Amino acid sequence: MASSQPVKPPLASQPSQAARGSQPGLRYPSSGKTIYHRPLNRSRTQELSQASFAYLFGEMVSYAQRRVTGIQDLEKRLNVQGHPIGLKLLDLLLYREPPRTQTRPLHIIALLQFITTILWRHLFSRPADALEKSSNPDTPEEYMISDNEPLVNQYISVPKEMNQLNCAAFVAGIVEGVCDGAGFPARVTAHSVGKGEEGELWPGKTVFLVKFEPEVVEREVYLGR
Amino acid sequence: MVVFALIIINKAGGLIYQRDFAEGLNKLSINDYLVLAGTFHGVHAITTRLHPLHNHSPSSQSAIETRPDPPSGIEVLETENFRLQCFSTLTGTKFLLFTEPQQPNVDKIVGRIYELYGDYVMKNPFYQLEMPVRCESFDRKLVQYVRPLNSR
Amino acid sequence: MVVYSFYIFDRHTECIYSRLWARQPDRPISSGPPPSRPISTSSTSSAPITLAPTNELHPPRRSTRLSAQDDAKLIFGTIFSLRNMVRKLGGPEDSFISYRTGQYKLHYYETPSSIKFVMLTDTQTLNMRNVLHQIYVNLYVEFVVKNPLSPVEHPGGEGVANELFELALDQFVKGVL
Repeated sequence: MASSQPVKPPLASQPSQAARGSQPGLRYPSSGKTIYHRPLNRSRTQELSQASFAYLFGEMVSYAQRRVTGIQDLEKRLNVQGHPIGLKLLDLLLYREPPRTQTRPLHIIALLQFITTILWRHLFSRPADALEKSSNPDTPEEYMISDNEPLVNQYISVPKEMNQLNCAAFVAGIVEGVCDGAGFPARVTAHSVGKGEEGELWPGKTVFLVKFEPEVVEREVYLGR
Repeated sequence: MVVFALIIINKAGGLIYQRDFAEGLNKLSINDYLVLAGTFHGVHAITTRLHPLHNHSPSSQSAIETRPDPPSGIEVLETENFRLQCFSTLTGTKFLLFTEPQQPNVDKIVGRIYELYGDYVMKNPFYQLEMPVRCESFDRKLVQYVRPLNSR
Repeated sequence: MVVYSFYIFDRHTECIYSRLWARQPDRPISSGPPPSRPISTSSTSSAPITLAPTNELHPPRRSTRLSAQDDAKLIFGTIFSLRNMVRKLGGPEDSFISYRTGQYKLHYYETPSSIKFVMLTDTQTLNMRNVLHQIYVNLYVEFVVKNPLSPVEHPGGEGVANELFELALDQFVKGVL
């Protein structure tokens, strides 16, 4: 322990020592290199253990479940957990793009393309399974992203009394964060559609409903002219 | 080759899962299964103590370097009509697999089922430890795995 | 192959005969490894079986472990529960043949008159049901049932452990393995 060697000369990384003393819960690797020391653009092939993610996500769901009033509230909490990740991923992923395409998406379609390919690949190593625009003329602001087998739900069986719940609300939160960060404020929700005849093949199929705010659609129309 | 049924018993001897895959064993009421699980749990504990040589002094010289394996209870039970393979995890959960007497590679099957349990039950945030297993995806994966074995 | 012990239970659930081979007597370990630890001789198929004589004269001092009598009771409880369980699941005709743990294997045979023969062997041993059946037909019937001096019932094992039966059992077990 550092406290047993009070005469040790301060090193470059000493500021963290003080922080360590006051926050015993925070651990640093022995090399002193944290994830923040890694270069931002060199993690193309870095993958995580799905098992450890499954345990972490399981605890996140249990944590969110603790003081909730209902399923809506639980989904909201999961959504809120994902939102900041989306905001940060937008910056990170654009930074990793080749310089010519590093610009922020300016159209809804470009944004959704970015989400279904680049974001999805980064998170799940594969693109989303479908991207559709709502066919209902009354709701031109709605878009649907389908995922046949959301990775976060792989090991989750939702109990019958909560069958409205879809834990991919967390992913919806990430998507919402990306949209908000790009200047396209939206509400994103996750819905299970793996019922009926389609459910045989993809029992966990999930649709992320992206509902942009009216001003976004208005701007889109103006830009389109 | 037929796998008849699977039973999972928690570490307290309670039945937490029971599923039939093929005809061949008598159907019991849920109550009888609970009794059966409790009985088996007790018998399993007794059989660990029946080893005729287990009064080898544990203080013998070899015990110092290598700790002997803890005695295991029933691993395989054979009868005229079926074979029961019991796999006891390190945490005390027991998997009982009922198969035909001549079923090969039962330990592999049980191992795979344990893996499915580890994935689809233990990683499910809605599963409460030691409680009955009600996980839709576990059921689905289990049937998906066992059905081809039975139709082979 | 090693035979550890052999038990007969009558239809009143009483243990009427027990025979222990290869039970290690509790002796100080200072004199190196015990001379005939049978578990180590079970590797080759042609290995001679080791039947360590039980030391009847000075029964092993076992303070922490169960007495042989308690062992017999536990064994009976086990086979009784398992037999019932097997009948429940496999139908009334089904009967339980053997079970194996990591350390030993228990073989079971029940006669139509509900006399139960139990044999504990090492785990490599194959099915011993026929052997138990032969013990019943060729030894038990011949030397116990047909013995005019032996009673019909055997409370407390009376009349079972006669000289002929014990001798024949010893030789039979040696010969079979």
